[in-house]
Amino acid sequence: MDDLHYAYPPLTPGGEPVPVLKGVDLRVRKGEFLALMGPTGAGKTTLCLTLNGILPHLMGGTFQGKVVVAGMDTREHGPGQMSHKLGIVFQDPESQLFNMTVEDEVAFGLESLGLSSAEMEERIAWALEVVRLSGLGKRHPLQLSGGQKKRLAIATVLAMRPQVLVLDEPVTGLDPLGRHEVLSVVEQLKRESETTIVMVEQDAEAVMAWADRVAIMEGGRLVVEGSPRQVFSQVEALHNWGLAVPQMSELAHLFNQRQRASFHFITEDEACSALASKLQPGIENRKSKIANPGPSAPSPVIQVEDLCYHYNDGPLALAGVNLSIEAGDFLAIVGQNGSGKTTLAKHFNGLLRPTRGRVLVLGQDTAGQRVGQLARKVGYLFQNPDHQIFAPTVWEEVAFGPRNLGFSDEEVAARTSEALALFGLADQADTPPAVLGYGLRRQVTVAAVWAMRPQILVLDEPTAGLDWRSTCTLMEEITNLNRQGHTIILITHDMKLVAEFARQVLVLDEGQILACGPTRQVFQQEALLRQAFLAPPPITALARRMRHYGLRGDSLTIEEFYEDYTALRRDKEQGDRASATLRPCDLAP
Amino acid sequence: MSFAFDLYVDRASWLHRLDPRTKLAFVVFSSILLLSFSHLLVSAIFLLGIHGILWSSKVPASRLRWAWQRMWPITVLILVLWPIFYPQGEEVLWQVWRIRITTQGLWQGLSMALRVDALAFAFLVLLFSTDQARLVRGLVKLGLPYEWGLTLAIALRYLPTLYGIYTTVSEAQQARGWVVGEGSFIQRIKSYLPILVAVIVTALRLADNLSLALAARGFQPGARRTYLRELKLGLADRICLPLFAVSLISLLILRFA
Repeated sequence: MDDLHYAYPPLTPGGEPVPVLKGVDLRVRKGEFLALMGPTGAGKTTLCLTLNGILPHLMGGTFQGKVVVAGMDTREHGPGQMSHKLGIVFQDPESQLFNMTVEDEVAFGLESLGLSSAEMEERIAWALEVVRLSGLGKRHPLQLSGGQKKRLAIATVLAMRPQVLVLDEPVTGLDPLGRHEVLSVVEQLKRESETTIVMVEQDAEAVMAWADRVAIMEGGRLVVEGSPRQVFSQVEALHNWGLAVPQMSELAHLFNQRQRASFHFITEDEACSALASKLQPGIENRKSKIANPGPSAPSPVIQVEDLCYHYNDGPLALAGVNLSIEAGDFLAIVGQNGSGKTTLAKHFNGLLRPTRGRVLVLGQDTAGQRVGQLARKVGYLFQNPDHQIFAPTVWEEVAFGPRNLGFSDEEVAARTSEALALFGLADQADTPPAVLGYGLRRQVTVAAVWAMRPQILVLDEPTAGLDWRSTCTLMEEITNLNRQGHTIILITHDMKLVAEFARQVLVLDEGQILACGPTRQVFQQEALLRQAFLAPPPITALARRMRHYGLRGDSLTIEEFYEDYTALRRDKEQGDRASATLRPCDLAP
Repeated sequence: MSFAFDLYVDRASWLHRLDPRTKLAFVVFSSILLLSFSHLLVSAIFLLGIHGILWSSKVPASRLRWAWQRMWPITVLILVLWPIFYPQGEEVLWQVWRIRITTQGLWQGLSMALRVDALAFAFLVLLFSTDQARLVRGLVKLGLPYEWGLTLAIALRYLPTLYGIYTTVSEAQQARGWVVGEGSFIQRIKSYLPILVAVIVTALRLADNLSLALAARGFQPGARRTYLRELKLGLADRICLPLFAVSLISLLILRFA
């Protein structure tokens, strides 16, 4: 079997002459698992589309250079023929599952190949088994969970037996369990059938754990290429390109920079042994010095009492939730998809009404208040920005909310221009929001909520699909709002965000509260998190693991861990010195 | 998630196994039959027969109840209005001012109502027992271009999705203080604008991605395709089809000769 060669001397596709790829050279070996990372707009998806000839065959544009996949040149073979060799799975599962049953979905590609129905039956059974969906052949794709949909999308191209599988952000938007399901299927595929994998992914931890090689794209070019270890050691360069690095690399970098250490660890195991070598086990735990602020006068902004809810004919989505959210709090709601996070949050602004129990917002029962009235008090940011963007200009989009609340024209104008300035959108005021990039569309929706100045702000997975830099910007803005006294309720799957920003965590599981309390305490209860298929971020896991060396063991951020560790080392050195001076006395008779 | 756009009931029965083309032929046969014979008895026997067929093919009673609930208003409407607007016949039962209710009018109203119900059930036999994929396959096999069939299938598949998007968008706009469906007629129409625009933009993005997904699965317009479930006329089909043809011809001769 020949090695696969992909070669991209300069090429420039794109509908209007918008240069996206500016000279990419890339070779991927057979059986390799390559991760492609890069900030939004770097050209990752465009690159994927050139691989099976969708570009330039379906979209035109200017195409230079050449792409050869498994010996086939995409200039001569269109996507119809390329799909025998290379399967692409796109980001949005909804638009890829266009049949009525799981089985028909997988069959579609095979019908295009012109296979006999016996052959199809065999391949469908095989593909569904590989992605662990056997027995669901008659289901409607809409009845599948998020992780199942992604795995079905993989099965649909897998059944065509491609030598190369291209996955464009296969785990974006999935809960932790769904992510693991999808990635382990991909890994197994690579191991057992030697399929070459090219995966576009933002999550550095996932890339670190699963990929053989990493290529970083920036501004339409490949800027770095190498093993995860080589690439992720360049922490500063990656941050400059707007990319995340695994927490362990970041930790090593912090030590190297501040103490001129030379750590090279990138996994938790390596970090543990490298850092532990300078400590001794068996020392008593240092006490957590972060004092819990004494119970201030409770002033709840949201009170939930024995809340039950079920959708039409469905099972209970919320089963007896009791909760009190204090003014100025930063609460994260976590849990698997379907655990009731969004259902709970939609009760805060009256989009859903309790089947039983009640919800009080700022002391008033939401029953009897209309969504429009509650919108003054509770702002709600929906997950997908496209579900609210409709106005002809960014200015109009942001002015929409304040205008609905009945403010005067001057007030609306003042709030709108202030919001645009605050969220860095002043230059786009006259642009139609629908044509902006995803990150900017998200900013528009945040500005639109902020312009309504609600006291409470609910954010439903606001960072899904954003790259690291946009995520940082957004979280900084949200933290600022929180400092100004807004109560923040954040729904997310990203435990790093929770650890870094939320003061309180609510863990939901099957419509019930599994845990609720300060983030530091909740993240110590690993067994309980596991029950909800969650895991604390790597840095917290590492801190916990190294507790018996005398660390406090409850660090939530890299900075906290660093300080804890250095303080321990300092104490130990002082202790050593102290015992050295004491020793003569000890020896004295 | 709503599946209200799909009437199909998945069962293993002789009716489900029939070729969709046979069932399409049955719909055509029934329509011609019901339109040529207006007699009350024909519609009544036909309706009874259809319920027998549906019962023997394990369509649950709840589905039938659902169908009758949908048919009920129009049935009552015909029963009431027909005698009022067609006051033929001698035997006057009741008369106020210009309104005259006759026995003949009542009977005609009843037979018309049953006829409409019978027609609706003829279609339901097809829709209850044929999944959309097979229905579209049947139409394509009868000469509909594959691309049209695919378009139809995709349209049916995405109806619940679009409905879901519509629900989310209208929630998102309400959360921004927007009030939907109040005020004068014009105001009400205008109040749907922020929702419709967002739904359409989202749908366009969806369509764009869908075209890429089709290409990635090797779809080429006009290219030769095979099918997972090739439609084949079975024994039952070979009995049913001539039966329809013979009965139709003889009934038409009976009626018009």
